[in-house]
Parts: sequence; C-alpha cells; structure tokens
Amino acid sequence: MKTWQWLWRLVRFKPWLYFLLVGLWIVSFGLLLTPGLILRVFFDRLSEPAQAAIWLWIALWLAAIAGREGVRLITFTAEPWMEITISALLRKNLFEQILARPGSQALSCSTGEAINRLRDDVNEIAVFMIWSPLIVGRLLALSIAGIILFRTDSFIALTVILPFALIVIATIALGRRITRAREASRTTAGNATEALGEMLSAILVIKVAGAETHLLKHFHALNETRRRAALQERLLTESLGSFWLNLLNLGTGFILVIASRSMSRGSFTVGDLALFIYYLPWITDFIYSFGSFLARYRQLGVAFRRLMELLPGASPATLVKSGPVYLHGQLPEAPFSPKTEAHRLESLEAQGLTYHYPNTGQGIEEINLSLRRGAFTVITGRIGSGKTTLLHVLLGLLPKTAGKIYWNGELITDPGSFFIPPRSAYAAQVPGLFSDTFRENVLLGLLEENVDLPGAIRSAVLEEDVKALVQGLDTRVGPRGVKLSGGQMQRVAAARVFVRDPELLVFDDLSSALDVETEGILWERLFRQRKGTYLVVSHRRSALQQADHILVLKNGKLEAEGKLDELLETSEEMRQLWKSNKSTVGRIST
Amino acid sequence: MSTPLKPYWNWLTHYLQPQWPQVGLLTVLIFSNLGLQLVNPLILRYFIDTAISGKALPMLITTALVFLGMALLSQGALVSEAYLGELIGGTAANRLRIDLALHCLTLDLSFHHAHTPGELIERLDGDVGALSNFFSRFVIYVLGNLLLLIGILAVLTHEDWRLGLGLTGYSLVVLLVLNGLRHTAVPAWTTTREAQADLFGFLEERLFSLQVIRTNGAGASMLRRLYSLMRRVFQSEQKAQVMNALVINTTSFLFGLGSALGLGLGAFFFYTGRATLGTVYMIFYYIQLLSTPLRQITDQVQDFQQVHANLNRIQELYQVQRAIQDGPGAALPAEASAITFQDVSFSYNAGDAVLRHLSFHVPPGKVLGILGRTGSGKTTLARLLFRLYDPNQGNILIGEVDIRAARLADLRQHIGMVTQEVQLFNATVRDNLTFFDPAIPDEQILQVISEVGLQTWYRTLPNGLDTKLATGGVGLSAGQAQLLAFARVFLRNPRLIILDEASSRLDPATEQLIERAVDRLLQDRTGLIIAHHLATIQRADEILILEDGQLGEYGDRRTLMVDPLSHFYRLLQTGLGEFLV
Repeated sequence: MKTWQWLWRLVRFKPWLYFLLVGLWIVSFGLLLTPGLILRVFFDRLSEPAQAAIWLWIALWLAAIAGREGVRLITFTAEPWMEITISALLRKNLFEQILARPGSQALSCSTGEAINRLRDDVNEIAVFMIWSPLIVGRLLALSIAGIILFRTDSFIALTVILPFALIVIATIALGRRITRAREASRTTAGNATEALGEMLSAILVIKVAGAETHLLKHFHALNETRRRAALQERLLTESLGSFWLNLLNLGTGFILVIASRSMSRGSFTVGDLALFIYYLPWITDFIYSFGSFLARYRQLGVAFRRLMELLPGASPATLVKSGPVYLHGQLPEAPFSPKTEAHRLESLEAQGLTYHYPNTGQGIEEINLSLRRGAFTVITGRIGSGKTTLLHVLLGLLPKTAGKIYWNGELITDPGSFFIPPRSAYAAQVPGLFSDTFRENVLLGLLEENVDLPGAIRSAVLEEDVKALVQGLDTRVGPRGVKLSGGQMQRVAAARVFVRDPELLVFDDLSSALDVETEGILWERLFRQRKGTYLVVSHRRSALQQADHILVLKNGKLEAEGKLDELLETSEEMRQLWKSNKSTVGRIST
Repeated sequence: MSTPLKPYWNWLTHYLQPQWPQVGLLTVLIFSNLGLQLVNPLILRYFIDTAISGKALPMLITTALVFLGMALLSQGALVSEAYLGELIGGTAANRLRIDLALHCLTLDLSFHHAHTPGELIERLDGDVGALSNFFSRFVIYVLGNLLLLIGILAVLTHEDWRLGLGLTGYSLVVLLVLNGLRHTAVPAWTTTREAQADLFGFLEERLFSLQVIRTNGAGASMLRRLYSLMRRVFQSEQKAQVMNALVINTTSFLFGLGSALGLGLGAFFFYTGRATLGTVYMIFYYIQLLSTPLRQITDQVQDFQQVHANLNRIQELYQVQRAIQDGPGAALPAEASAITFQDVSFSYNAGDAVLRHLSFHVPPGKVLGILGRTGSGKTTLARLLFRLYDPNQGNILIGEVDIRAARLADLRQHIGMVTQEVQLFNATVRDNLTFFDPAIPDEQILQVISEVGLQTWYRTLPNGLDTKLATGGVGLSAGQAQLLAFARVFLRNPRLIILDEASSRLDPATEQLIERAVDRLLQDRTGLIIAHHLATIQRADEILILEDGQLGEYGDRRTLMVDPLSHFYRLLQTGLGEFLV
C-alpha cells in the first residue's frame, strides 16, 4: 500500500474532524494575509494629509489579529483530539492483531523494540495527520498571497517564486538519503531501548552476578551508535531546513536588489515593499514546511513499514482499519462466552504433527495424539525432547508445518483461534503474571459473578496463600508478579485455567516450582475433580502412575505410548526416565 | 541564578562542562547570527530613504548586495549551529542515560518490584531524550535572545528615548505575561507523561506474555484495558495541549498588539516631523524583530514546560535512595568459608515478618539443604546473603566477616546463584554467558558449555558463540535455559554456591547430566541448596527446615533421615509417595 493510501484510510476514519481542521486552517491563514494588505495601505497613505484614516487602519489591524488568534485557539483544541484518536486507532489495531497471531510467534521482535514502534512510529503518523490539514490551509492561503504579489509586481514576485521550485527539486534529491538516515537512526534507537528494557527486566540476575558495569558498557556502546546515527540524520535534515529558513534573508536581499530600479523610478512604493517583506516570511515558511512535508511524508513510509513489520503477513488494510477506540462514552462490556453443549469435547485427535524451529532445526516430527473425554494424558521425555513444542503446535501457538487436528472428528483449520476458553485453557511453564491485583491476574478480565473464583483458587491450592496476604485477592503482585514466589506464580497460572472451566485443561510442567506438600495437595484435588479432559506435560511419577495414557517423546519424535506398565515393559526410554526418578529418591532413603 | 532555576544550572554545568570547546563555538556562532539580525533593519532604513530621495541607483544596489551577503553568512552559521547542538545534546544525553541507568541498577529490588521496566524505559529513554534538546539549546537561545532583545531596545532608545521607554515597557509586559503562563501546563504535562508511561508499561507486559492472553482467551478484555488507558492519555493530553495553545495564542496576540503600537508610534513621530518614512518602517521592522527573541523564549518556555516535567521525574528517580549501602571493604576469605546467621529477622513490609530470629552455622566446605513450604522464607534467605536486602535484626557472617563490612561487588563475586527464572538478552550466546564481560576467553566458555552438558545444543548453533539469542529464548527449552544459567555461574567461579530451586525445570534424565558438573561446582566450596523437591538436596550434608520463617529443624542429614521423630523423616515418607493420595 502506498503511503497516501494509508493516510486516506485514516482520514476516512474521522473525515469530519479532518476537514474541520482543513477549514479552520484556511480561515486562519486568510486572516493572516489581511494585515499585510493593511500594512501596504498604511505606508502608502502615511504621507497623505488625511491623518484620521491612519488610526482606523491600525484598529483594523488589531481586529484581524484578534480574529486570527480566536480561530487558532479552536484549531489547537481540535488538533490533539484528532492526533490522539488516530494514535489510539493504530495502537488498538496493532495490539488486536498481535493478540490474534499464533502465540509463540506473535512478536517478530523483542518487546522493547515493539514498544519503541508502538510509541514513536505511531506518534509520527498521528502528528502527520494534524500536519497535513495545516499544509492544505497554507497551500490555499499562500497561493492567494502569490496572486496578490504577482499583481503588484510580476517581475519581483517571480524572483520570490523561483527559489521555491529549486527547493522542491533539492528536497526530492536529498529525500532518499534522509529516509535512509532516518531508518538507521530509528533502528539504533530501537536497539538501545531494547537493551535497556532487557537490563531492567533482568535486574535480579544482573545484581546477583555483579554484572552492572559490563551491561552499562554494552548499553553505552548502543547509545553511542544511536547518537552518531542521529547526528547524521540531523545534519542532512538541517542543511535542508536551514536553507529554507534562511530563504527569508536571501529573498529579502533579492527583493531589494530587484526592486532598486523600480523604487528609484517610483513604480514600486514603500507600501509595496512592506507588503512583500510581510508576506515573505509566510511564503518562505510555507516553502520550508512544504519541503519538510515532503521529507516527512517519506519518513512516514518508514513508520508505516516498521509498524507492518509487527504484523508480518497481515494485509496492510488491517493496520488502518476503522473501528471504535472508546475515548468517550461507555467502554465495551467485558466479554464472556459461557460454556454450551456446542463446546463439549468428545474426542481430540492429532495426526502427523510436525514443526521445526527455523534457527536451530529442532522441533517435533510426525506426532500422533488421541484424547477421549475425561482422559488424563501425560506427555513425558527428556529436556529438549519437544514436549512443550508439541503442546504449542497442538494449541496453535506455533504454526504446524504438517499434520491434522480433529475435535470431535471435525478438522480444525485454525487451532490458534479454536483452542481458547471455554473449549480449552493452558498454563505454560513460565507463568507470565502482570503488575495487577492477584484477583485480576486470575480473572484476566472475566467478571467475578460469571465464574467460580473461590473454587479455582482452591483447585490451584492458593487459598492459604491468599489468606496470608494482607490485602488478600486485592494484593498487587508487582511487575511480572515479582512479589509472589515461583510456586505461587505457577499456581496462579493454574488458577487461570481452572477459573475458565474449560473442556480441555492443558498444563506444562505445572508442579516444577512447588514443594512436595503443596504439589501433593494439588494433584490430589486435580484427580478427585477430574471434571474435564487433561493434557499434561510432566515427568513426576505421581502423574505418570495416574495417567490413562502416556506419550514418551525423544528427540522430537514419539518414542513410545501407552499405559505406564506396558511402557516400562517395552520402552527403554521410559525405563530410563522412570529409573532416574526412582534412583534419586532411592539414594535419599538409603 | 535564582533558586528555582538552580537545579537546571547544576545539571547544565555538570553535563556540558566536559564539552566546553564545542559549547563555546556554538555560543559564538549563535551570537554572530544574532548580530546580523540587529544590523539588518538599519540597512533597510538606509535603503528606503535613499530610494525615496530618487537618486544614486548604484548605491541602492550596493546596499542590497550587502544585505544579501549577510544572508549568505548566516546560512553557514545555521547549519553549524544545528550540527553542534545535536552533538552536544546527544553526548550529554548519553552521559545522563548511563548515570541514570547506573543509579537504577544499584537501587534496591523493592524499587524494581514497584516499577515496571516499561515505566523506567519511559524515564531513561523518553524523558532523557526530551532533555537532550534542553542541553544543547536552552541556555544559549535564551541568553542569545535576551541580548538581542536588549540590543534592539538600545538601538530604539538611541533613536528616541520615548520610543525606547514605550517598547521597553511593552517587552516587560510581554515577558511578565509569558512568565505568568510558564507553569500553567506543567501539572497537566506530568499527568500526561504518567498516563503514557502507564500505557506503555501495560503494553510491554502484555506483549511479553502474549501466550497467556491468547490461551486464556483474554484478548478482548486486554483490549478493553487498552481503551481505558488510552482514554486517560486522551483526557490528560487534551487538557495539556489546550493550556499550551492558550500560551501560544496569547503570545501571538501580544505581538500583533506590539506591531500596532509600533505603527502608532511611527505615525506619531512621522506627523511631528521627527521621523522619515524609512525610520517608520525601521521601527515597525524592529518590533517585528522583537517578536523573534520573545517568541523563541516562549518556544523554549514551552519546551521548558515539558522539560520541567521531565526533569522533575528524573530528579525524583535520582532522589530514590538505596537502603543497601556499600561496605567499607573487609576482605572475604579466598577459600570456602563458613556461613553464619545470627538471630536474623527480616520483613519486606513492616510487621509482616518473613524470617524470625533465624540462627544457624554452616561449616566451611559443607553443603546445607534448605527445605520449607512455598513462602516459608527460603528465597529470602538467599537474597539476604547477597545483600539484595539487609536484615532488620541480626548479622550474617561469611567466615568471620560480617557481609555488611565487605564491598558489595566483592560479596557478589564471592557467591554464585542459579535461580529458577533465566533471563536472556537479545545478544550473542557469548555475551549471554559472560554478561558482556569481554575478558573471558572463548576456550573457557566452550569448556563450560560441555561441562554443563549443552554441547549437543551448541552444535546446532549456526554461528557458534556468535549466534544471537532472542529475548524469551526462542528455540531454547526451559531446561536448556536452566543449563545456561548453570554455565553462567561456572564461568564466574565463585567460592559459595546457592542453588535456588535449581533443578526444578529439569527432567530426571537431564538432571543426571549435570549432576557431575554440580558436584564439581560444590567441590571445595560451601553450598546452599534451596529446593522444594527432596531429590535435589541429596548432596546436602546438613538440613535446615524453615517453617514460617523460623528454624523448624536443623541437623545432620544422615542423622535426621533415620530419626522417625524428625520432620525431615516424615517429609521423606511423603516424598517417596510423592503426593498425598
């Protein structure tokens, strides 16, 4: 999509506001031209005897200026409205689209870099949206100024308009280099922001390792690269910008040189000179802003491209799709889809699931899986054998390269949007908590009256922990949940699954950070309830013993499957996993 | 310098001093440019009066050419100004960024728990970026423009004292009004920046945990939160912008008023025969010119209103004191040493004790296994040893040395810890392992990689140690990431080892892989193993069981293991059954 096509769609999002801005700018520039004409009259009639009229002209001058400022105040009120609405729309569309992408691949860059784009590139576009009506207004008002000057003295007027054409040509020539410099400058800024974000997220590790100095050096190196890129960009844009700014002086010089002859002849009055010099700043200002408008328009292409990189493969139209942004009025209702018969799970089947990570080539290959209603299925295997990958491919968090998934015998084409509550819910190994209240971390936006929160807290064996907190469920858990222990975080992730009461409950190594007693209670409650169908990654004996079915993975392939007893007979890998579990416990007991 | 401007002055001198030659050159450039502006109207008057007298065309043309020459001179000055300004501002901003980042890194954990990375990014990146302009331009523009203002008023006074008096009065009124408006928008801008920091903090956390949102079907409600956060930005920024607009409009109107005054005074002097037409035009032109310094001062004030808010928040950040102070530098033992806790009590928030009167002693070279329910204080105990927090009461000794007496850097060099959370950086494998320390040779890194059992993984890397690891560790399983964390500790070769739930993510087969390596790590070192799983403390010589932050049980592992009355014995029974069904 071309830059103007993107922009036009954004205009169509708030057309009346946009054209109101255009109209307001035209009026205010009209009022800007009036004082110039008054000035000409003033200087031409000052030598005439009718002194009273002069004071009237001065009063008119004041009235024109008061009117202009009034109109501009209205404009400045409408501008942020437009700007913030547009940035809200872009951010909403981006966030919505990112949320809709397969989970493990949702972000094509680090979060720091994504934030950088969501902040700066979006701002750039939004600012342009209020800048373009200003340009339209200027273009119109100043062509009128051009006509007035041309009719005063066409020869002198032309010497003002001529540099204008030259500047536009210079802008186009320099534009490409500015775009490149701009891109480099933004990329280096993104790298620095990203490193900063990582540093702040890893604060505990850095402190413990005493690595502050080395990390600061790394950050400083990135900052210096950013500074050099910014300097390069500034030099390019500024050598263009100052040329336009200085055109006022150069132009005045031209006028004086050109007007010398006419003035000494008397055909060009002092009033005419005053008019030319009064209009000149506005004309050069216009030339300047039109030039930087072009440069900025080019930079805008970069901004749009960088935002589209956050949505690889998506249609460009999705970025600028119109839709409510709720800056006023009622916010939309908290969404809730209750479980119905239509969601009921009878059987879940997967055939030939295959996925390879692009950078390492590791992954899973040709894995078959079959779950019946109410079954407790365990996936086990060594580290790196592909357990988590299998869950992610099944749930659509990673795009499978081959294989089919059937829910109640029906082929699922888009598992990513299918495997969500109330059909399924998933607790990952890394719990992913938010700086919010305990309650909100479990509910994630669900309304408490729609769900059984105390039940979920109990199922996740969190009731004692909640009781111990001074503010109970309203305790804020800190950024990424740091105020909770590792085990508590994992149980919060489990509670998120329970509170959604899904047909299929998927847990990835749920008990890895839990102590023996808590873990015992958790498994006990889980087995006692057995309300849904379970798919669990674990290597705990308890889980393996209770499992209706076990999948043993090795190097991304299905090594063996069946009940524990059969597997211990038939599978060497299973025996090893089982033995290593036993041997550690055994050594303690001897 | 008056008191409210004092902090700005301190900051300027501190951050601009190292660049004084550049600052000096920039000042010279800006001043010569302003000088050119002061002379221009005089040339214009001469031109007009000569033209009206209807003689000497060559003289007219020469005058016009002088004007043009000056325009060309200022062209070069403008480009150099911008370049130097960016150079100075950028360098100063980078110094400030590093100072602030260092400050943030040394702040206590409790601070970092209260502020999201997104929020701090907004401070260190957004606020500092805005300050960069302030560094390079503010004082030079304000000073330069003040001089231009005084220069113009002096020329006009020289022309006629009444003219000088009238316009000095006018300038004072304008400056007073502008000064009165100066602070009006600051609170609104502060609120705006806070709302923005909240918005981006929210987005950063959500983007970090997209899987959670997706698999729990929370997308729609997260969008709803986004709407409400954007609405707050809208409301505060709208208010701030309108207040800003009021300043701009008032200023513009005052300039129009000034021009009217100039025209009136000009007409009066012309009618009373004290001025030529050229002089009337010159008075008008000077008044137009007056608007430049007044306007630029206003512009800077506008920037200043934002910068004021930026600086306030940065200073606020600077004023956050760390509770943990560096020790005077007592030497820690070079060999494995004893750990002693003497009556240690600690609470994160007053009244909510996590550890209570805890005393124990681990002899040199021994390994202590620490057990306890979630939240019993195990992790806290390790954090105290690192001085991530200081105890409210009691002492912790390494060997004979109170850890508060040692330098923090020495202390943390002395201890190595593997935690459950493994943080990866978007950097090479090498930098991820060495924490960006270039002094560690590759051979040593490779050796450690094979020691922890990562060689199979290492062989899959396309560029060896130079392979980039992405944040979040795409293509790296949680277990592999855990092994990486082991490798990091191996590389630092500490004297005291803490394994905090170290093997929790490892499946039994992989766990065996690194057992030998851990054994070697614990050889000739004192160790603390904090684990929820009995299997992982099999190496312990002694056992400590924490119950609600108190010493529940302490003793030799082998003794406790066979004592049917011990809690440890009971735990072993549960552990053998693995769960309580």
